[in-house]
This record gives sequence, C-alpha cells and structure tokens, in this order.
Amino acid sequence: MIELQGLTKSYAGTNVVDDVSLTLETGEFGVLIGPSGCGKSTTLKMINRLVPLSGGRIILNGDDVTDLPAEQLRRRIGYAIQSTGLFPHWSVAQNIATVPQLLKWPKSRIDDRVDELMAMFHLDPVEFRHKYPHQLSGGQAQRVGVARALAADPEMLLMDEPFGAVDPLTREVLQAELKRVHQQTGKTIVFVTHDMDEALQLATRIALLNGGRLVQYDRPIEMMVKPADDFVREFIGQADLGLKLLSRRWVHQYQRAPSLEHHATLPGLDHCWQLDDAGRPVALEGARLDDDHGVTPVKAEWTAKPEMSLKEALSRMVWYRVMVLPVVDDAGKLIGEIGMQGIMGIQAEAEGRVS
Amino acid sequence: MASAASHQWVGNRVLMTLLVAAVASVGLLPFASLSPNRLASGQSVMLWQALASWQLAALALIGIALLIAALAKPMGPRASQWLALAATLPLLALDFYGLGDYAHRALVDASPAARVSQGATFWILLLVSALIAIDALQRLRLGLTRRALYGALALAVIGVCFSGELLAPLSIMREFANQEENFVDQLIRHLLLVGGALLPALLVGLPLGLLANRRARLRNGLFSVLNVFQTLPSIAVFGLLIAPLSALGRAVPWLGDLGVSGIGVAPAIIALVLYSLLPIVRNTYSGLAGVSSGALEAARGMGMTPRQILWQVEIPLALPVILSGLRIVTVQAIGLVVVAALIGAGGFGAFIFQGLGQYAIDLVLLGAIPTIVLAVIADFVLQILVGLSRPPGTRQENTA
Repeated sequence: MIELQGLTKSYAGTNVVDDVSLTLETGEFGVLIGPSGCGKSTTLKMINRLVPLSGGRIILNGDDVTDLPAEQLRRRIGYAIQSTGLFPHWSVAQNIATVPQLLKWPKSRIDDRVDELMAMFHLDPVEFRHKYPHQLSGGQAQRVGVARALAADPEMLLMDEPFGAVDPLTREVLQAELKRVHQQTGKTIVFVTHDMDEALQLATRIALLNGGRLVQYDRPIEMMVKPADDFVREFIGQADLGLKLLSRRWVHQYQRAPSLEHHATLPGLDHCWQLDDAGRPVALEGARLDDDHGVTPVKAEWTAKPEMSLKEALSRMVWYRVMVLPVVDDAGKLIGEIGMQGIMGIQAEAEGRVS
Repeated sequence: MASAASHQWVGNRVLMTLLVAAVASVGLLPFASLSPNRLASGQSVMLWQALASWQLAALALIGIALLIAALAKPMGPRASQWLALAATLPLLALDFYGLGDYAHRALVDASPAARVSQGATFWILLLVSALIAIDALQRLRLGLTRRALYGALALAVIGVCFSGELLAPLSIMREFANQEENFVDQLIRHLLLVGGALLPALLVGLPLGLLANRRARLRNGLFSVLNVFQTLPSIAVFGLLIAPLSALGRAVPWLGDLGVSGIGVAPAIIALVLYSLLPIVRNTYSGLAGVSSGALEAARGMGMTPRQILWQVEIPLALPVILSGLRIVTVQAIGLVVVAALIGAGGFGAFIFQGLGQYAIDLVLLGAIPTIVLAVIADFVLQILVGLSRPPGTRQENTA
C-alpha cells in the first residue's frame, strides 16, 4: 500500500505538484494521468525520491520513504521508463539482473530469476539472454526494461510512460502483457501516461492531475460516469465516451445462455446456433444484418471470449455484420452468447429461457 | 569518356594508381646511392642496376600479380584484394633484401669509408606496399584479429631482414652500429619522457574531465585555459619555462637535486603535460557527456550509488572516447619529445639535431625513422584498445 499525504513540489516558488493526497491499496494498478506539465511524472519520481519532496509525506507499506536511504528505498521499488534506459554495454540477462546484483543475490538465484522473467515476458532465454540492447526491437527492449524493473521482486512498480515511444500495434500487445503480468504477480503499480485509452485499459484507479493538483481520483468507470467537473469530462473526451465505457466492461459480465432453437416471438432472438459433436458452434441461423434468415458459418474471427471487452465484441459484430456473437471457452465449446442487449448493458435477462 | 572506359577494365583504381606511381618511380628515381664517405653526396643507382637478375624477375612477377589484381577482368573483386594483400609481403621483403644484397656486392671492393644509402625508390616501394595493404585490408573488411595477424606478418618480414647481416653494410645501419649503445639509451629516454608526461597528464586530466562533466559552470573556463596551452608553439613554451624553472631549481634545493632546472627533463615534461591535457580532458568530458540520460536515470532509479553509476555505467560507456583521446595524446607526445632534444632532454631528437648539425642525413634518419615507427606502433596498439573497449554489443559495427 502506498499513501501520498499532501505531497508538494515547488520549483522557484511555483508548486508543480500541489497538495496531492491519495492512497493506493496493495495489488492495485494506479494510473497518474493529465495534460503535459500537470506534475504526474514529478509525483511519480518523488515516490522513489529521484525528485526530492518539498512538502508532504509518502508512506510505503508503513515506512516514510524519506526515512530510508535513497538507494535502499529504490531497490525496493521497480522503475521502468519510456527510453527503457537499458545499459547498452550489458547483455539482456545482465540488464535484467541489475538490482539482484546490487542486492548481492547468489548467482544461481539470479540466473533462475532471469530465466523466470524472460519466460514471463515471452523472451526465449536461449535466443535473448546474450543479446545486447541495440539488437532488440522497441517492443522487446521495453519488455526487458519492465522485466528488469520486476527482477528483485519489488514491493511496487513505478512506470513513467513506458509505452510512449513504441508503435501503436506494439503498444497494444505490451499493454495486454502488462495487464497479464499485473494479474499474475499482484504487484502494486503506479503508471504515468497522457493517453486516456491506455489508462482505461490498464487502471484499477485513475488519478487525474491538472496544474499540479489532483482533480479526481476514482475507479475508471466512475470517472466516466461521474466526472468531477468539466475538465475531467473534457479530458476523458465526450465523443466516444460510450466506446470507452465498453472498453471497461467484459463479455462474461453480460453474456447469456446460447439460443439453441428459434424463438420467433421474441424480437432480436430469432436465431439459433448449430453445434458439432464436441459442442463447438458451427453455424448461426438468422441474426444477420442483411439476411434475417440466412445461415452463417461460424468463423474464429467473430467468436468472443469471456475476458474480451465489450468494445472488441461490438467491433466484431459490426465488422462481420452479425447481431450476436458466440462466446466460446478455450477448447472452442459454446458457453454463451453476447448480443446487442448485452452490449447495451442489459444483463442476462433471458436467463430463464435456456433450452 | 576516358574515365568511363577505364571504369570497365580497371577494377581497383587506387591499386592501379599506386602501381603506376611505383613503376614511374622505378623508372625515374634512384633506388640507392653509393658515396665515397659518410658526408659526401653519392652517385645514384637505379633499381635495374642495383638488383640481381633473379630479383628483377621476382619484382616483375609481383608487378604482374598486382596488375592482375588491379584489373576488373581476370578475377573477382574479393580474390583480387586477397592477391594484392598477399603480394605486399614479398614486395616488402624484396625491397629490403634487394637493397641489402646490393650494398654487400657494391662494397666488396670499395674503400672502407664508402657508404650505400637507400634512395627514393626504396622509400616509395615501402610506402606503396603499405598503402596497397591498407587499401586491401579496408576493402576486405577484415576483423581486428586478421588485421593484427597481417600486421604481425609484415613486422616479421621486416624483422627477419634486420636480424642477420643483410642490412649491416647500409650507411644508416653503420650509423646505428656506431651509436648502438647510445641508441638504446635514447630509445629508453624517449619512452620515459613520453610515459613521464602521459602519466601526470592522465592523473590530472581524467579528474578534470569528470569535473567538467559534473560542474557546467567550470567547463567553459577550463576549456579556454587548456585551449591557450594547446595553441602555444612548443619551442616557445620550452623557452618560456627556462627562466622560472632554473630560478625554482636554485630556490628550492631539493627540487634542484631532483633535476629541476631551466633545461633538460623538467621543462620537457611540463610542456608535454600541458599539451596533453586538452585532448584528455576534452575526450573524458565528451565521453561522459555521451552516456545516454535514460541509462543514467534508470541506474539511479534502480538504486545504484553514485560510485556504482560512475564505475559500472559511465566509465565503461565513455572508455572508447577517453582512449581515443589517449591515442591522440600519445602519438602527439612521441613527436613532441623530438623537439625537446633541443633543450637537452634527449630522446631520438638528439640524433636528428646532431645529424642536421653534421649534415649527416643518415644520422637524421636514425632519429626520424624510429620516431615514426614508435608513433605508428603506439597508434596501432591504442586503436586496438579503443576497439576492444567498445561495448561488446556494438563492436562489430565498428567497420569504418
């Protein structure tokens, strides 16, 4: 758990961070966001004291950070930055091992840990162990940077716009990976970004800063549904607020039992799934946008998974011109369906209707 | 049109130019000279007069091999470059052997005072084979080890030529024989002067470079002072130091006992240190300044102490640039020590000024050639060190 209490930073009489207080519970993913110069990066760097505090306190798991020697504090906190900051003269393995080396872990423990982290970030140890940073792609270098930050199993992780310099495609992959790693490790993360979509994608808590002051600190959905003021509303962006909301809702929350026979009487439910012997969906009868009674063979590209966001589910419906997607498990078996009602937030209302 | 046409049949224009220069020199310039005594000017001997017929035949063969290597047609470019590189070694050997062999034959029934000296064509053939080798090594893009191997081979060829009695009758070698003990003394003295100047220059320059990196306000003042030292002519500095140093040597007796006086080693080393400081400080500063700010921020953020950051991150990354500075300074100091002979510091410069005074050109060469060889060797060794100090991941990209 980390608590910021009245945190303030002033340069030449101006407060660039002004009386910021917030608490982030252990295991949460906190995102500091705001326009350029709002003090989000400065706030982050005060946590590991790369920037000295002008006022206020930071309590990390019960310890006031200013009571600890700076180097000792920093070895307890992982740190990843936009430029990766990988040491060009050290191999990938040496880079990842930086903090364990500083903590004087035994060599065998360091080697095991490096292999474990490389596996976690899908970097083949045989291929990458001995590579040097300049031989890596941007995405690979950033993975190594995050792996290095996690190496000594720190109490928390600070990330300063880590995906700001990679291309959009790689960024999405890295975001998904970070999300998975966060769920796997349960690390408390403080993450700085200026990209609201990234914040909504990753955060369990968002702190919106403006001019050094904390404007709103809330869960992502609350921030969208109950913005504190016009600045928040504007910063989140009104035009695609609906889509942003969908990006924070998941198929498993709104899926319903699959329709296995026609219900001509119920509007929007005039369809049914054809299954094979293994219970996998083969074709969809009806529910096509342009042909209400046609039979559409099911393709993997337009099936949904329970952990998929509603935004992605909607996107697949639009692209493949169907009103309903089959929800399948990892084996491909039909376990439910998600239709327009689900997308609109109507939860499993047809539950009693299971055939 | 001519260039377009030549483009088709000449594969390697550099090699062709060198070959034409060598042939022109063989036709126009003397290979050796024969004089009645060490001071009299000699009579020119052309290559075809000096060499035995089998040596001329061998030289012609080497010439044909090089011509084939220069042409586009007979062989592919890579094979041509290997052929050119291979041909330089026998060319080098023949240049030395031909001269020594000629001296033996020419002096059999001459007076004991008669001297044989090397002529322009000897030097040009030496230079041409070196340039052909450099050109071929560059085109072949060989790695450090293979370059070093070739360098060792060439040195071995030269070493074998010098080892026996082959070159002993040459005038310059007789000067060497006269000065042999003195030569070793001056060599040691030369090296001690260079080392004695570089060590304090490094001890002062490296911390100053670090200081310039850490304190932006000091930087400009420091560099302007060091720049002033660099622009002063060396002779002027030696002159300027005579009065204060001799006064100091008299005023502080124990310094005087150590050899501090207006002339000799003390002013030489002081001047050399002053000249060496700017390149060392500047390269240390820019090496450290070139370390990426991201790496420094990450190092701090992960909990490295300032000392760990300096030794584990900054110095390893700055080392190639720092060593390049040392390379400049070493080569420069080897040359400047020659001038220091004027104020009695000794070194190879002593032969040069002595030879100039006696108008004995071979004595001048006895000072000049080893100085050049020392500078080339130092340059080569430090170049290898610079290459080795590059971060391992980036080493192979260092082809330029």
